[in-house]
Amino acid sequence: MNQNTDLLTLRSVSKAYGTVPVLHDIDLSIRDGEFLTVLGPSGSGKTTVLRLIGGLEPLTSGEIRLDGEDISRMPINRRPFNTVFQDYALFPHMTVSGNVGYGLSVRHLKRTEIARRVGEALDLVQLGLFAERFPSQLSGGQRQRVALARALICQPRLILLDEPLAALDLELRRQMQEFLKSIQREIKTTFLFVTHDQEEAIGMADRICVMQAGHIRQLGTPHELYYKPNCEFVARFFGENNLVAGKLGPVQGEQRPIETALGRLVCSIGGQPHLKAAPDGASAFAAFRPEALHLADATDSGNRFSGTIADLAFAGSSTVATIAAGADNASQRLRLRMPSRIGGSVLKSGETVSLSFAPHEGHLVLA
Amino acid sequence: MSGAGSTDSAERLLSRLVTMLAFALPVIFVLVPLAIFLVYSFFSVDQGTIVHVPTLGNYARFFTDPIFLPVFWNTIVLCVSVAVICILLAYPAAYFLTTLKGRWRYALLMLLLVPLLMSYVIKIYAIRSILGLNGFLNKALVALGILDQPSTLFVFNMNAILLTLSLLLIPFAILPIFLSLERIPQTLLRASDDLGASGLQTFLRITLPLSMPGVASAASFVFVLAIGDFLTPQMVGGISGFTFGRILYSQFGTAYNWPFGAALSVALAIVVIAAILVGERFGRSRGTSV
Repeated sequence: MNQNTDLLTLRSVSKAYGTVPVLHDIDLSIRDGEFLTVLGPSGSGKTTVLRLIGGLEPLTSGEIRLDGEDISRMPINRRPFNTVFQDYALFPHMTVSGNVGYGLSVRHLKRTEIARRVGEALDLVQLGLFAERFPSQLSGGQRQRVALARALICQPRLILLDEPLAALDLELRRQMQEFLKSIQREIKTTFLFVTHDQEEAIGMADRICVMQAGHIRQLGTPHELYYKPNCEFVARFFGENNLVAGKLGPVQGEQRPIETALGRLVCSIGGQPHLKAAPDGASAFAAFRPEALHLADATDSGNRFSGTIADLAFAGSSTVATIAAGADNASQRLRLRMPSRIGGSVLKSGETVSLSFAPHEGHLVLA
Repeated sequence: MSGAGSTDSAERLLSRLVTMLAFALPVIFVLVPLAIFLVYSFFSVDQGTIVHVPTLGNYARFFTDPIFLPVFWNTIVLCVSVAVICILLAYPAAYFLTTLKGRWRYALLMLLLVPLLMSYVIKIYAIRSILGLNGFLNKALVALGILDQPSTLFVFNMNAILLTLSLLLIPFAILPIFLSLERIPQTLLRASDDLGASGLQTFLRITLPLSMPGVASAASFVFVLAIGDFLTPQMVGGISGFTFGRILYSQFGTAYNWPFGAALSVALAIVVIAAILVGERFGRSRGTSV
């Protein structure tokens, strides 16, 4: 269970349905014991990745290696992976313990052994009292946990989860996120979790793989994706962001300016050689998070611009301002997020203010 | 104001009338005739006229006469056999249909159901000619060397009734089985594969149990249709193929003993209702929806 060794490797995997390609040359390594989330909008090919790994679909080209061995053609029932399906796919004619024990009983284990392990698995998912119920007698969250117990009882090398929380309501989804994460830590099994919900991804994943239109756009920790998105798609898709288009200026050490409608904005390029290598005048975006934007004071020398507060929305712990900036304070819409205060916001709708963000909180994304 | 009130009450009257009609039609055309049968079964016949005095004589005769109970029992056995044969033949056909993709599936299903559009009597004639001494079945068996000479085993006896009824009623078995197989979500089968089951294990442990409601309704359909049939035994049964339906028919048609016929009908109705209830009980499996 060393997180530095690769469990599963996808090498230039492609998939097409008929003549319609859905995955283009995917390369992906899944580390042993990690919680990897594949995140993408619908139609990005994320579920296809999961189905190819699980053996539910054949690949069109490329190969999948488990511990270095090609398993692309291994039939589904021999792969040491188990899937938690989106609609749970519980067997309606079997009890909870029948469902959970299914994977063991098709392997002809002894009854006493099956009963013991079913008991353990049900305890793990806190459903010990529901063993003799039928799936139709359970709530959504309980079915979810049965599906999880059924998958993990076979002690698979990898558990594949296909948007398992999509059908649950918000509160239950939050609980299940924590629950899944804690189970994963406890059984130390690799989880591959597919979702379109970026909050879900941030909350649970060790690493996130962002997909779009059949390509992997970026693979990294939630922190890397949030603060160092490598393309416009990730910058826009992953969390709320302000993107201001412009042309790159000459490199200044670990920073680089960009000429935009808001004037010259200086952003950090630390640790990202491709941003250093981009030619002067190349099209790019300055990207900064709403919480990085703040009212300028005397100490803010650079990255200053003015804007008009178009809208002010109280969102509980924070207050979000929509700001019109740029030419005539209209061409560019920005968002600013600041902690809410009991005395009301210092901002007023319609007011024109001076704004700024620190260069180290700004980031560049090539267009 | 009053105008609106009167249209209101007129509408209410109309809707009440429609409701009453909806209840009245089945009562008048189904329940009342059944009740009349029940009442008639307690009458008797004297010199060709019906005596309207309640008696249990018909039922006593049914249970004591050495002819009726054995035929009754044999007919039930026959119809159960027909149901079993139909299920055994229809299940693979229905299963094969569900493995087909898209348009082919329904095109082939329609083809299998086409015989239902043909005249019943013509089908019986056709099957009789297949089963007969110079029929296709005998010729084929002789040609294959299984028989030395054409056999009379297949026509004008119980076997003939069994084969003919099975052939006639197979479409009624295919349809419910096909529908129940088609309703099984594909993800359940994939989940079974995913958990390590072989194709055979998936079929035996997931597909088969989940299609049992369809099998149960198919069996009760076929049984009920077979046991009520008197035309098929009449046409292919000959002398030895004597079924309860034929006895019933003769009580009304030739013996003119309506009260006794009614009592036999009541006995048959009880079996039919029991078969339908059993089919319904197993047709409703526990929580088929996930």
